Amino acid sequence: VPPRSPDTDSAYPWIEKVLPTRLEAIRDAEGDVMDRLERLGYDEDHQFAIRLAFEEALVNAMKHGNGMDPSRKVTLAYRVSPECIQIHVRDEGTGFDPCCVPDPTTDENLQRPCGRGIMLMRSYMDTVRYDCRGKEVQMVKFRRPDVGGATP
Amino acid sequence: MPEEPEVVQVTDCDGVKLVRVMTASILREDEVESFGQGLLALAEVPGRRVVLSFLGVQHLTSLVLGKLIHVHKRLAESGGELRLADIDPHIFEVFAITHLDRLFRIYEREDEAIASFAGKAEA
Repeated sequence: VPPRSPDTDSAYPWIEKVLPTRLEAIRDAEGDVMDRLERLGYDEDHQFAIRLAFEEALVNAMKHGNGMDPSRKVTLAYRVSPECIQIHVRDEGTGFDPCCVPDPTTDENLQRPCGRGIMLMRSYMDTVRYDCRGKEVQMVKFRRPDVGGATP
Repeated sequence: MPEEPEVVQVTDCDGVKLVRVMTASILREDEVESFGQGLLALAEVPGRRVVLSFLGVQHLTSLVLGKLIHVHKRLAESGGELRLADIDPHIFEVFAITHLDRLFRIYEREDEAIASFAGKAEA
């Protein structure tokens, strides 16, 4: 995973936070993201899509990455600009291979209770990439006047 | 410390258990658990017919979808059924993307979902 680009534009800086492994922390963190989207005039479709992917990435990091272990942290970094939002989420787990996550939409997997988070992130964001160990996910969603929701 | 409000509220409607979600977003661990437990408790009675109304719900995550699948299976095992209603278009899109609109019977309004059970007596 390439490093974040240098923070040359102070109007839209990278924000970095270290979160405890508690689902409650997600709502606290997303408040600032949603405020920034709102201020920059992102429409309702974009806001829904970004919020969903943001929550899924953090839920995955806490639940599957950190195993809800309260001694482990999640590192969150994001940058909201008028053109796009970039979100990076890193956990302290052992990593995983995203290619090994079964397709939850097949008939045999449809009733499995897990495995939909990554699919939703990929549907709602423009790019979703994992580092080689599967411990960090990097997502981007570009702002478009015509399309805000999921990409079929 | 004030008691947290219930995440779901259950009423009886023409022999159907109508479950309304009382929060716009289900994310916190206690909310997800309360949501799941509230629904699973209904599956303890065989043959129970349940309508879950998402009226007012603006956001959910895959954790909630997982709970719904669990409840659906438990109800089906006991001869019951879960039907969904009043789903916001954004959230319906989540069901469509994950193909869960194939697993659940989804109605536009809760009264339609309740009426759809007409003639199916509770066991």
